Amino acid sequence: MMANVGVEPRTQAAPSAGTSAGETPVPVVAEKPVRCAVRGVTKAFGTTPILRGVDLEIREGSFAVLVGSSGCGKSTLLRLVAGLEEADTGSLWLAGKDVTRLPPRDRDIAMVFQSYALYPHLTVKDNLAFGLKLRGTPAAEVASRIREASAMLGLDALLERLPKQLSGGQRQRVAMGRAIVRRPSIFLFDEPLSNLDAALRAEVRVEIRRLHDRLGATTLYVTHDQVEAMTLADTLWVMNKGLVEQKGAPLEVYERPCTRFVATFLGSPQMNMESGVLVTKDGATYAEGGGLSVKVDEDRFGSALTRGRKVEIGVRPHDFVPARSGAAACSLKVEIVEALGFEAFAHGWLRASGPRIIARLDAEEARRVKTGDTLPLAVDPTKVHLFDPETGRALDAE
Amino acid sequence: MARLSFAVIAALVLLLGAARARAETVVVWHAYRGDEEAALQAVSRTYEREHPGVTIDLLAIPHDAYSAKLGAAVPRGHGPHLFVDPHERLGFYLREKIVAPIGDGLDDATRRALDPAALAAVTLDGVAYGVPIAGKALLLFVNDALLPKAPPTMEELAALVVPGGYPLAYEATSAFFHAPFMHAFGARMLDDADHFAFFGDDAARSLDFVRDLSRAGAVPEEASGALVKQLFVTGKVAAVISGPWLAAELREEAKGLRYHTEPLPIVRATGNPMRSYVTIEAAIATPIATPAARAFARWLASHDAAVVRARRGRQAVTTSSAWEDPQIEADAELQSFREAARTGVVTPVTPAMRAAWVPANQAILKALREDMTAKDALLQAKHRWEDTMRPPPPPASPAPGLALGGLVLLGLAALALRRARAAGFAAELRASMPAYRYVTHAAITVGLLVVFPLAAGALTSLFAGTRDAPVYVGLANYLGILTARGGDLLGHGSFYLTLLVTVVWTVVNVSLHVGIGVAVGSLLSRSWMKIRAVYRILLILPWAVPSYVTALAWKGMFHRQFGAINAILTWLGAEPVSWFSHFSTAFAANVATNVWLGFPFMMVVTMGALTSISKDVLEAAEVDGATRWQRFRLVTLPLLKPALLPAVVLGAVWTFNMFNVVFLVSGGEPDGATDILVSEAYRWAFTKDAQYGYAAAYAVLIFGLLAVSSRVMSRRLGDPEAA
Ligand SMILES: Nc1ncnc2c1ncn2[C@@H]1O[C@H](COP(=O)(O)OP(=O)(O)OP(=O)(O)O)[C@@H](O)[C@H]1O
Ligand SMILES: [Mg+2]
Repeated sequence: MMANVGVEPRTQAAPSAGTSAGETPVPVVAEKPVRCAVRGVTKAFGTTPILRGVDLEIREGSFAVLVGSSGCGKSTLLRLVAGLEEADTGSLWLAGKDVTRLPPRDRDIAMVFQSYALYPHLTVKDNLAFGLKLRGTPAAEVASRIREASAMLGLDALLERLPKQLSGGQRQRVAMGRAIVRRPSIFLFDEPLSNLDAALRAEVRVEIRRLHDRLGATTLYVTHDQVEAMTLADTLWVMNKGLVEQKGAPLEVYERPCTRFVATFLGSPQMNMESGVLVTKDGATYAEGGGLSVKVDEDRFGSALTRGRKVEIGVRPHDFVPARSGAAACSLKVEIVEALGFEAFAHGWLRASGPRIIARLDAEEARRVKTGDTLPLAVDPTKVHLFDPETGRALDAE
Repeated sequence: MARLSFAVIAALVLLLGAARARAETVVVWHAYRGDEEAALQAVSRTYEREHPGVTIDLLAIPHDAYSAKLGAAVPRGHGPHLFVDPHERLGFYLREKIVAPIGDGLDDATRRALDPAALAAVTLDGVAYGVPIAGKALLLFVNDALLPKAPPTMEELAALVVPGGYPLAYEATSAFFHAPFMHAFGARMLDDADHFAFFGDDAARSLDFVRDLSRAGAVPEEASGALVKQLFVTGKVAAVISGPWLAAELREEAKGLRYHTEPLPIVRATGNPMRSYVTIEAAIATPIATPAARAFARWLASHDAAVVRARRGRQAVTTSSAWEDPQIEADAELQSFREAARTGVVTPVTPAMRAAWVPANQAILKALREDMTAKDALLQAKHRWEDTMRPPPPPASPAPGLALGGLVLLGLAALALRRARAAGFAAELRASMPAYRYVTHAAITVGLLVVFPLAAGALTSLFAGTRDAPVYVGLANYLGILTARGGDLLGHGSFYLTLLVTVVWTVVNVSLHVGIGVAVGSLLSRSWMKIRAVYRILLILPWAVPSYVTALAWKGMFHRQFGAINAILTWLGAEPVSWFSHFSTAFAANVATNVWLGFPFMMVVTMGALTSISKDVLEAAEVDGATRWQRFRLVTLPLLKPALLPAVVLGAVWTFNMFNVVFLVSGGEPDGATDILVSEAYRWAFTKDAQYGYAAAYAVLIFGLLAVSSRVMSRRLGDPEAA
């Protein structure tokens, strides 16, 4: 592990960062200094390892979103950054300073909890003022920051209320206000929207991004929600089993998942998977198996494409298109059609014993398809993902 | 088979029961144990054999409950026909109508056979109420191994050197044990006019004398009866002053101990013998005593019965002829018991005597601790005695009270009438009927268990005099209390001083309860306390043990010479502290005990409340920059407040009335200074000549104070939830 001494280089990522992850450049914020860095952090509760050497960095002004399956250690990582847990090994850097052993109050961070964690005995105003007063901020300054935050979040009418007199959305806003007035060097959010209903969630999501940009803040945001992850993030960090599996701009990660896990984790409905082998037909490389026969993009996979190699073929439901006659990559035996109005999903299988396959249809097409139909489908070669069945890594990320 | 034999036995029992029912039964209560009980049983069986058709039903009642049980049972006709009791309580029993003349129980022949002094002891105003059966007085028990023969004078005895021990031990702070010294110096407890007389030069010299013994290390300080016995049994003391009861206990508990008894020595300084107070045990008749019961009482004093009681029960019987029995004549120990009883002074039975013990004890204690000169202490005792014996307030006319009560009732009736007239009342009442039905049983229960006793207590406070002859005195009891009976308003035993002590006591205790309870509760709620389950149980223990057990244990630990706390202090190189001789230390001892008893409650409340505080909120404060202490003070504590507040009010009320600790640990020492209002009320009711009305007035005042102050406290502490 890296020694906890010296000053973190602020411009380029340390070589240890991202070695285990598929790296995609993030040009938007590349020139900004690193505000928060996690270096090879491990953490175990008892004998169960939760974090197994996590590397992560967030550049100033950037919005980093951390996603991953439930229980993979996202909250633990966030709490480590906040100082609520202590790392077993590795180091944490905030604004170029090693904070690995510092208590939360010396880290200059603010955190918004999933439960909001407002002080039940204090009014909204006192909730906002709490952290400032502890730091001995002059009263006038406290008042002006509260005024500012409350104007930003529309809390003016609520300042004298107790938390129990607020709705869920109002509490959420107070929790954010409490973070904002502190003007911390980094904001930490742990699933801040999961207790809100869908409509409100969409509204607040936009609000959060707007605030982030307005404040020029640096943010680390943990979520379960794909939409949040895709829409909010400058950089998306996907965690699996205590490790960062991939990082990058959200669309890049979506389009070029570097592992099977990332591929299936992002996107809804999930990416379809079939096992198959690589074959050469008419001078082109095809992936075949399970009733599927798709041409693959040789530019993308290059030398990884050896004939006869066993692969997992991944195709997102949205990447199937109805096939013109004769050019079908497969034919779907439709079991059920889920019509959502603006689009539809056909569920079925390609072969009697094969895995369930989902394909997206236009609303128009969906009207014509019935249960029991056989639907010829085609796939654009650039939308075909290939993974090694043993390691689960994408063939282009090996 | 088993069933058949069971049926046969049952039938036999029924038959026997029927036979018994026809026979005459004499119920006798006593507090004897061991040999004395065996002797009483033996003579009863003999009597039953000689008088077929008479059954003697003996019932042994523990000593502590004896008087109370008599007082409860006899006036309601459930009591015994006869009971065996020391004669001292006769005056009190007579006033409470628990006893009746013994009549033919003492015929002329029996009278002639009995010791005249003993006869006199059971006779009040020329009427005898019981048959005297044995006398008991203090004498000297000498450890053979340390002292083959006691020297003739107290001075010589006290001058003996016992390595690692004492030449003499006795319950020095008890007036009963001091009496032989008092008599040797020519002083007495009451004069001929039945007034307190234990003051003046002679009395003071007797106290100076024993104080000097204590100073010289000749006797252990403030020894209890148990300690005296223990010192004697373990050979740490050459001689002890005690009574025949000690011999009975030694027979049971220290069989191997070689000792003999001797009369108390004389005091060389005056040349007078040390004469003990003598207790005459008598078979006393109750108002339901039958001729058969009186006949049995008479027989108890007969020669034959007396011989058995002396031989078997080791009693110094009052029947003269029994002492001519050769075996008894040759029994040196029995002879010494008799000698002590014959040469002693029979304890007077008047209320004046009953009222004298407590002030006398207090004076002796103060003189021995050298808090005051003996003279001043005794003079103070005299004033206290006079305070207790002051005449009851004059009877007041009940007219104003009745008129007021009538007016209130009238007003209530008028109000009710007005409500009933109001429109829709009848319909409303009909509609609420089912609701009333649901609460009636609760209302009746609460009425019987709470309201009725309260009202009865409140009524009692308007009366003075005895239970049977109450005198309505209006508010005179309250007036007496609130004017400190004409004395100094902040003087000894005044209501205001005691109230002040009680308030300080409550505030100090509750603060410590909450402080320690919250601190320990918070510690135990920490997840890093691995074995906190064990600690939790350990810390709840003080709460689970009956409080009087704990209180007595703490009292023992605070003993001046033998307590654990002074042992630790000495070991640490500090001076031992005489805990109960100063207000501050005695108060501290009480507080320590009560804190020990009280903090687990607050701890449990705290731990319960802590589980409802979300961990997130504390972590939010941590991220906001709060230190551990700030998190506790600014978040945990305010969130605990709603749960703690009712506990604090409850705890304050409990502590305000924490009788057990004050009564058992300091017992009000020094000199009533650490008494709180309830223990003071108790003293008026039970140690100061049964002034129930006065005590009830105290109780009503306490109730009023608590009702008002707990309301105020809830309001004041509980107002805004926001800080
Ligand atoms: N204090 C703790 N003691 C023991 N195990 C813990 C503790 N906190 C978390 N864990 C375990 O660590 C693992 C990771 O927990 P964490 O809360 O970081 O998951 P997460 O990624 O935030 O999951 P979710 O998305 O469900 O919130 C889980 O298996 C959890 O059971
Ligand atoms: Mg989580």
